[in-house]
Amino acid sequence: MTVLPQLIVSTLLLGGIYALIAVGLTLIFGVMRVVNFAHGEFLMLGMYLALFAFARLHFDPYVTLVLSLPISFAVGWASYRGVMRPIVHASHNVQVFTTVGLSIALQNLALVLWTADARFLRTDYYAVVVRIGGAAFNVAQIVAFALAVALTAGLFAFMRWSYIGKVMRATAQDRDASALMGIDTDRVYAITWAVGIACVGAAGVLLAPIYPVYPTAGLQFVLIAYVAVVLGGLGDMAGALIAALAVAAVEVAGSYTIGTAWKEVLYLLLFIGILVVRPAGLFGQRGAEALGT
Amino acid sequence: MKAVAPAAVVFVCAGLAPLVVHDAFLLDSLVLILIWGSAAAAWNVAGGYAGQISLGHSAFFGIGAYAAGLVVTRWELSPWLGLAVGALVAMAIGLVVGYLSNRLRGPYFVLATIAFSQVLLIVGSRWRGFTSGSEGIPVPFRPGFWTLGIADKRVWVWITLALAVLAYLLQLYLDRSRRGYQLVAVREDEDAALSLGVPARWLKVAAICASAALTAACGALWAQYIGFVDPFYVFSVDLSVKFALAAIIGGLGTALGPFLGAALITTVETYLRAQFGGIGTRLIGIYLIVYGCALIVMVRWVPHGLVGWIGERLRRRVTARAET
Amino acid sequence: MSLLSIAGVSKRFGGIVANQGISFDVAPGELVGIIGPNGAGKSTLFEIITGFYHPDEGVVSLDGARLTGLSPDAICRRGVARTFQKLRPFQGLTVLDNVMVGALTRTRDVRHARERARELVGKVGLAEKAEAHARTLSTGQRKRLELARALATEPRVLLLDEVTGGVDQRTIPELVQLVRDLHAGGLTVLVIEHNMRVITAVAQRIVALQLGEVIADGPPDQVTRDRRVVEAYLGLAYTQ
Repeated sequence: MTVLPQLIVSTLLLGGIYALIAVGLTLIFGVMRVVNFAHGEFLMLGMYLALFAFARLHFDPYVTLVLSLPISFAVGWASYRGVMRPIVHASHNVQVFTTVGLSIALQNLALVLWTADARFLRTDYYAVVVRIGGAAFNVAQIVAFALAVALTAGLFAFMRWSYIGKVMRATAQDRDASALMGIDTDRVYAITWAVGIACVGAAGVLLAPIYPVYPTAGLQFVLIAYVAVVLGGLGDMAGALIAALAVAAVEVAGSYTIGTAWKEVLYLLLFIGILVVRPAGLFGQRGAEALGT
Repeated sequence: MKAVAPAAVVFVCAGLAPLVVHDAFLLDSLVLILIWGSAAAAWNVAGGYAGQISLGHSAFFGIGAYAAGLVVTRWELSPWLGLAVGALVAMAIGLVVGYLSNRLRGPYFVLATIAFSQVLLIVGSRWRGFTSGSEGIPVPFRPGFWTLGIADKRVWVWITLALAVLAYLLQLYLDRSRRGYQLVAVREDEDAALSLGVPARWLKVAAICASAALTAACGALWAQYIGFVDPFYVFSVDLSVKFALAAIIGGLGTALGPFLGAALITTVETYLRAQFGGIGTRLIGIYLIVYGCALIVMVRWVPHGLVGWIGERLRRRVTARAET
Repeated sequence: MSLLSIAGVSKRFGGIVANQGISFDVAPGELVGIIGPNGAGKSTLFEIITGFYHPDEGVVSLDGARLTGLSPDAICRRGVARTFQKLRPFQGLTVLDNVMVGALTRTRDVRHARERARELVGKVGLAEKAEAHARTLSTGQRKRLELARALATEPRVLLLDEVTGGVDQRTIPELVQLVRDLHAGGLTVLVIEHNMRVITAVAQRIVALQLGEVIADGPPDQVTRDRRVVEAYLGLAYTQ
């Protein structure tokens, strides 16, 4: 069983980054009741941000990470004002098509501006490898994991203790009652959306030194985030965190046993299975969505 | 908008066009409009009438394309047979998908359908032994009607027109029949429909099956017309969005809408291709940006599409005239 | 001789008991009112009778035939129609089309269904609104629409959830008269109602629920004097 430690550590490293993508997605769903189909595109934008900051300004990706938080927050805020605001209370279908439209537009904007070529961000410490328990790991991966965990923890603390976080949770509980209590729900939605985008943008920056950057790069990660979010129960942040690890475990185990080519089928089928059997997630109350709550 | 006259005019014009127009480029555009219009109409049966918004319909289109392609290349049988096989397989899969996703609403259904088409994309592009994997299938050209090896684009116009009329008639049935009324009730409010004795679950499955079979038929004809099946194209989410977009632009839940939407989209696409021909992949990017923005704008400001918008204008004019 | 029979129905949600061993019968042509404070389990009982919830225990039957286990649409076709407390008209359809959906459960002929729907739309007083979209109606008009839609399915038992809730004072007498007329026409009606004046005036018999259990069952004057009912419900309602 020499591979076991390697598999476990791989799972943790992957799961940490998936978690950061997933918590933003589930936060937006929990508070706004919107499934953001453009989430992956914001991840992709974060990756390009790190890439260009490195290539043009020689910023280390971990410096860019600090800058990316306010930048993605601002991008999120602007996209809320411009695109999301009019449809927050619209029907599911309108919301779906709006975010799908946003996704297509952003993806292809990147295609037109930066071509479909995969680009690479190679820092000088890229090839540095750390050995843990006989297994070798890329240092960028470990740093990305550590920072992703720190950011996720920061988000949890923000939600738990800050005034805005409490207001966001109250709105997630009952948007009508919150509005009656004098909460400016429009502002809450803007902040929620922007915070969610900031998370995924930061995740993009962290992924850029590890994975190739191209216009549809967000899709594969966000697909996994959807799986995690649904598995954890849409809107449940702690659930998403655990589920992100579970999905990473499935992926790592899948790559190991059936090969990378088919592992995607494995988690897609898992995803469909969960949607069909327990649409409210493993920890959520079943049927909550169907009952319109 | 349940008048048949405008649709009759549109289809008769399309049928007569090959007698007048001889320009290959225009005829090619017409064939594509009719194929995409039929696919959008098929999507509309599930998405517009039944309210089952799918973004995985390219799965059924791909099944049709692959069925036609494989029946021709592997067994050297007629693509018409391939079309029938594709439609049946899609219907059977539609039955399973419809049954399993029956309780899923809104974004959950969308996510499930996307995941489903992604599964088929992976199978189509990786199962080298059967589907030739990511290289796709070149469909050989064997002259004759039975083998669908037709060089004359006029004949293609008539073949695809028949498909379009079939798709239109299916929607017309939903506009006027008992089952159609019931299906629309399910879309508006499933629980309320159930409480009135509407067999909602069964109707939704039936709508998805019909929609899947028709979409597969479009895929089969498309594969024969284009002569190549590329898994990354026929199973793409972009293609699913294209069907939905055409229906939304034309008018969700209207019989003629998908055809108008497809006409508009295809025209814009061809125009951009002619205009920016040299830029290659970037061109695709430009019209997809237009797609994305059109989607955002349409669902927000013109929810009933062109058909709804034109209908509203006409109604206003009629009432204005009545008042003077 | 009972038409609708509810026998030992219980339903729990997690740890919360919504219905606990509820039993009563409704005779043909009877108009029974169900009262109880919020959370007493009235609406849950309706959901169970109409098949939207499955009871943990107990059986509901119509004319001796078991309804429990059937799907909501099948139960409707057997002859149990309902309205919703939180109104659910088909927003995007016209009033006439809304009612047609109900009528199409009893006829395959669309034209016949339209005639029947027009008749019912007139009967509930919405003739002028027949071509209007449901989303443009007032709450009172929506209540009438739901009533017409339910009637179009030709029910043997009609379940009304809150006939007068959310409706302005002037409209209440008209709606009450409508229910009276239906009952006079021989229809069996089960009605949940918060307005005590309405329910005591209209019902032949009242079943009172509290915390998921039946605490009183009998003629209105008897039930309204019942000590437990007064404590649980009326005391609150009258002192407020």
